[in-house]
Amino acid sequence: MCLFLYVFSIDVAGVEMIISRKTRLHIWFRLLLLQASWNFERLQGIGFFYVLLPGLRKLYSKEKLLEVSRKYTGYFNTHVYLAPMVAGAVLKLEEDQASGVADPTVEVDDFKEMVAAPYAAIGDALFWGGLRPLAAGVALFFAVKGILWAPLIFILIYNLVPTWFRTVFFVRGYRQGMESVELIQKHRLPDWAIHTKETAIVVLGGLSAFMVFTQLTQHQLPSWLGLLTLIPMVMLGLVARKGLSTLFLVFITVSCIFLIGLFWADVVYLFTSWGARE
Amino acid sequence: MAINLAFGALISLICGLDRVAILQIMISRPIVAAPLTGLLLGEPLVGLQIGVMVELLWLARLPVGAAVPPDDTQVAIASSVLAIVLGQRFNTSGIELLLLCLLIAIPLGKVGQYFDHYARQYNVRLIRYVDSALDRSSLLVAELQHLRGLTSFSLAAIGTYAVILSGGLLIIPFLWPFLQQPLSYSSAWIQLSLPLVGIAVILGTINVSRAITLFCASFCMSFLLMWLV
Amino acid sequence: MSLVLTRIDNRLIHGQVLEAWVPFVKADCIVVANDDIAAKPLKKLMMKASVPSRMRVEIGTVAESVALLKSNQLDRCKVLLLFGTTSDAVRAYREGLAFNQLNLGNLQANKGKARLSCTLFLDPTDLDDLELLDQAGIRITSRCIPADSERFWRKLIPVYKGRV
Repeated sequence: MCLFLYVFSIDVAGVEMIISRKTRLHIWFRLLLLQASWNFERLQGIGFFYVLLPGLRKLYSKEKLLEVSRKYTGYFNTHVYLAPMVAGAVLKLEEDQASGVADPTVEVDDFKEMVAAPYAAIGDALFWGGLRPLAAGVALFFAVKGILWAPLIFILIYNLVPTWFRTVFFVRGYRQGMESVELIQKHRLPDWAIHTKETAIVVLGGLSAFMVFTQLTQHQLPSWLGLLTLIPMVMLGLVARKGLSTLFLVFITVSCIFLIGLFWADVVYLFTSWGARE
Repeated sequence: MAINLAFGALISLICGLDRVAILQIMISRPIVAAPLTGLLLGEPLVGLQIGVMVELLWLARLPVGAAVPPDDTQVAIASSVLAIVLGQRFNTSGIELLLLCLLIAIPLGKVGQYFDHYARQYNVRLIRYVDSALDRSSLLVAELQHLRGLTSFSLAAIGTYAVILSGGLLIIPFLWPFLQQPLSYSSAWIQLSLPLVGIAVILGTINVSRAITLFCASFCMSFLLMWLV
Repeated sequence: MSLVLTRIDNRLIHGQVLEAWVPFVKADCIVVANDDIAAKPLKKLMMKASVPSRMRVEIGTVAESVALLKSNQLDRCKVLLLFGTTSDAVRAYREGLAFNQLNLGNLQANKGKARLSCTLFLDPTDLDDLELLDQAGIRITSRCIPADSERFWRKLIPVYKGRV
C-alpha cells in the first residue's frame, strides 16, 4: 500500500504530465480487472481498452476518442503482471501523439503488438514457471508442519515481486514510454526465470525429503528407506515428460498404494492368526 | 449444513474469479483457498491438509496464453467442504474421509476445465456488443461490456463447485462404508504420495535442463542433513 | 540437425512455446521464419530478449531461415521451427525444406476467418495451404500445449463446413 502511494507520488520534474495522478491511480485499479472479459478471439483485447479508457478520455474527445478506442479493442495478450508496464508506456505514447510532441508516423499500435508476446513469454517463465513453485514449496514446509499461517506466508512471498512489477513498472512505463523496453532487456529476466526455477527445484527436493523423513519417523521405520522414494518419483517424472496427464498418474499411484496396503494388511493378518494357532 | 455449503460457494466465487478474471493475487491456489474454506467452516486444519495435497498436483500446468489448466481451486474448496460436512455427518475426523473426498473431487474437477472453456467462449460475444456500442458512439456501454465478462467466469466457478459438491454428496455416503476400513491401511501413505506425484510432474515438465539430477541431489542432501541432525 | 517441432503460431515466440514445448521436445534452438519480424529490428530484438541466453535464437525471413536450416550451421542443435502463417509454411516447403510434422498452435482471428477450435481461425486459403502440405505427406495436427490432446486437422474441418 505504502509502496504504490509512494510510487504514484513521484512525478518527473520538468516534464509536464497531462494524465493526472488520480487518473493514473484509476487506471492502475482497472488493471486489476484486466482479464474480466478474457475470450478466445481477442484474449485481453477488451480488457486493455477498458484499462486505458480513463486516460484516453483525458487526451481525446468526441470522434477522435472513438477512433482511438476502436484501435484498442483489438487482439491483445500479455502477462497480467507486465500489462501495467505496457499500459503505462502506451499511455505515454498516446499522450505524446495527442500533444503533437511525437512523430505521428510512429504507430502506438505497433508498439503494443511488438511487446505483447515477448512480455508474455518473460512473465510466464518468471512468474508461473518460476516464482509460483518456489513460493508454494517454501509455504508447504510450514503447512506440512501444521502451521496455520502457511497460506499467508505463501501469499506474502509470492506477491512481493508481482506487486513490484505492477506498480513500479507501471510508473516507469509511463515515464519512459518506448524506452521502457530497455528496462526489460537490461535485467535479463529470462535468465532470472531459469535461476528461480532451479531454486524452486532445490526447495521442492528439500520439501520431499522433509515429508518422507517425517512420515518415516512417525511410523518408526528405518530412515534409509526414504531414499527409495527417489526411484518411483524419477520414474513418474520421466513418464510425465512423455505427456501423460496428472489425473492418470494420481490414479495409478493411489491404486498401487491402496492395493499394497490391502495386501500388507492381509499378510499381517495371516501372520498373526498363524501365530495365534501356534 | 446449508450454511456451510453457502460459505463454500462464497469462497468458490471469490477465489474462482482470482484465477483468471481479477486480481491474480493467488488466493486461488489450493494452499490458500482450502485453508480459507476450512477456517470459515470451523476446521482450518482439514483445509490445510487438503491444500497441501492438491497444491502441487497441477502446479506444472501453467495458464499460458489460451491454455486452460484443470480447476484445482474448485477441487480444493469443494473437497474441503465435503470433508467437513460429511465428517460431521459420519462423526469421523480421520484422514480416510478426507482422502475419499479428494479422490472423488479430483476427477470431477475435470468439469471445471470445460466450464472455464465455455465461459471464455461465451465472452467472445462481448466483442460484438463492444463493437456495436462503439458504432453507436456510446463509450459507457462499451466499457460496461467488459465487466459483463465477470458473470460468465463467476458462473463457471460456482458451476464447477456445484458439480463437484453434488457429485461428492451423492457418491461418498455410498462408498464410505465399504472403503473406510481398506483405506485406513494405506491412508497415511496416500496422503504423502499426492504431493510427491505433483512434484514429479513438475520435474518432468519444468523448463530446466537436468531438473531431475538437481532434484535428486537436493533430496539426498536434505535427507542426509535430517538424518544427521 | 534435427527438427524436433515445426509449429504455426501467429504469436511466434511466447509462453506456450518457451514454457511448454521447449522442455517437452528438448529443443535448444528456436528458428523463427517470418518476413515481417525480420524486417523490424526492434521487434526482433524484443523477441530475442524474451528467450533465456542459453538458447540459440535465429530470426529471419522465410527464405533465410530455410537456407540456414539446409546449411550445416545448426548441425548439433535440436531445432524448434516457428511459422507465423500457413502460407509461410507452404513457402518453406516449396523452397525445399523437409519436415514431416506440422503442429497448429494459435492462428489469430481476422475478418472472414472461421473458427476450427478455440485458438485456430482459418480461412479457405489457409485450408488450401494445409491440404497441399497434407498431400505432401506431412502429418498436420492441432495441439496448443503438450498437455492437450493431439487432434488430426481433418477431424476439425466438418465443424468448419457446418458453419459456412
